[in-house]
Amino acid sequence: MESQIKQIHQQLVSKQVRCTDLIQQKLDLLKNNAHNTVNSLLDTLALNLAAKVDDKIANGETIGLLEGIPFGIKDVYMLQGSYTTASSNLLKNYKSAYTATAIQKLLDAGAIPIVKENCDSFGHGSSSENTIFGAVKNATDTNLVAGGSSGGSAVNVAKDFTVFSIGGDTGGSVRQPAGYNNIYGLKPSYGRISRYGLMAYASSTDCVGPLAKSIEDIRIVLNIMSGKDAKDQTSYASAEINEDSILNSDSIKTVGYFKNFIESDAIDVQVKADFLATIEKIKAKGITVKALDFFESETLVSTYYTLAMAETASNLSRLDGTNYGNRIEAENLKETYAVTRSENFSEETKRRIVGGNQVLSQGFSDEIYLKGLAIRNQISENFNNDFNEVDIILSPVTPSTPPKIGDSLKDPHAMYLSDAYTVGFSLGQLPTLTIPQGTATGLQITAAKKNDELVLKFANFLKDTI
Amino acid sequence: MSKIMTVDILSSIKGAEPSEAVNKLFEVIKNANSTNNTFNNVFNNNNCICLNDLRDDVVIESSETEKQIIKENFPKEKDGYLVVAKVIEE
Repeated sequence: MESQIKQIHQQLVSKQVRCTDLIQQKLDLLKNNAHNTVNSLLDTLALNLAAKVDDKIANGETIGLLEGIPFGIKDVYMLQGSYTTASSNLLKNYKSAYTATAIQKLLDAGAIPIVKENCDSFGHGSSSENTIFGAVKNATDTNLVAGGSSGGSAVNVAKDFTVFSIGGDTGGSVRQPAGYNNIYGLKPSYGRISRYGLMAYASSTDCVGPLAKSIEDIRIVLNIMSGKDAKDQTSYASAEINEDSILNSDSIKTVGYFKNFIESDAIDVQVKADFLATIEKIKAKGITVKALDFFESETLVSTYYTLAMAETASNLSRLDGTNYGNRIEAENLKETYAVTRSENFSEETKRRIVGGNQVLSQGFSDEIYLKGLAIRNQISENFNNDFNEVDIILSPVTPSTPPKIGDSLKDPHAMYLSDAYTVGFSLGQLPTLTIPQGTATGLQITAAKKNDELVLKFANFLKDTI
Repeated sequence: MSKIMTVDILSSIKGAEPSEAVNKLFEVIKNANSTNNTFNNVFNNNNCICLNDLRDDVVIESSETEKQIIKENFPKEKDGYLVVAKVIEE
């Protein structure tokens, strides 16, 4: 698929389509959709912005590439004046007081936000079932989960309800739903896009990530959102990625894959066969392919969840109903905190907060939390060594196809293990793109940190190769 | 501070208990091999910030809209004042 952004831009400029009609059409599609992708529609705001774009075009003014392009926002981003619920009871009536940096940059470029999108509550989940708005249903089979936590965003893009959506990826929450719904989803290098205004889950791996139907649209949106931001001191300045620079992949000579991912008993037979067939096609193009050693899946998942739970226990401690949120009064302040949190957090969120406080407790932090940090460093070192040998690491997105709705909630441990192929790259803070090719749930392309451009280059190469 | 605090108190979640699903993950970490020299290079090439890059320590006035929304989000208001529940007296 070619760039939808460019296509719609042309239609607007040539007056084939009026922006207000386009926005109204997308709002109607969202309103009537049976996939549970919508937490709230931004109809008034969107139509007002669209009318301004139409006026500009009517007056013969030039419009920017993103002006008038409708997009969706995972409901964990601040957008001033809009409800920002994190799909939770606690914040179901919370209004953003300010706007996230990444979203503001899109607004400044003229893109039009039309929907706050359903997701797992506070990003806690891999299926978008852990939400007060009802489980998000897969774009192609409504009996299956959409994946998560950015499930609503992925389905909206897959169904053409939005041109692109902005998800959040902490351990795979953009890449896995992108794979489950056959679209592109990028987790950029950690820090490339400011996290300011993204509700914090695990701050050391939280990333803002675009979902779209083409590599070109991912590139356009990534460029707009990237950059250093004084409000997120882990953000860094990055060069724009040019369209021409990602068309030629001659610099990619060697590709690696983790052999234990493929030799695992947990991988679906067809996913394995399709992945190995892809490897053969890459070899046939003259690229050297190396099988690499990596950490066991269980170690990766356990390390990620140990650290993510510790961070989320800390981040979510602010949600006590004092300054905002659905406060439930009790006999004193302490009881008010406890009742507010007990009644308003989902079971999965409570499980993660409790897990986080367990590992941060005296007596447990050494043997679990600090050891988890040490393993994370080993994982990072492993990646550094790998990228001395290979340019790109290729892997499946998930070991198997999407589960049926309801199955993940019954077995949280199995849900955690289903993140086996995504969490390692999060811990390494590496740029990783899901492409809708290669296996039933796509492929992940990963490069060394800050080399997001190489990821897009290889995606273009694979688009024409497999 | 010798008082032992259980996870339900630490988490401010009534009746909270460690879960089996999560404990299984922690067991993997306990049993994993790790080298002990890694704290010298925690995120060795990653998130360090140069002192010169620290943002200015200035007070930025919120916009009227922002102030209004913050008040709207506040759960209680009495006689024009924002109020919190009774203070902890122990």
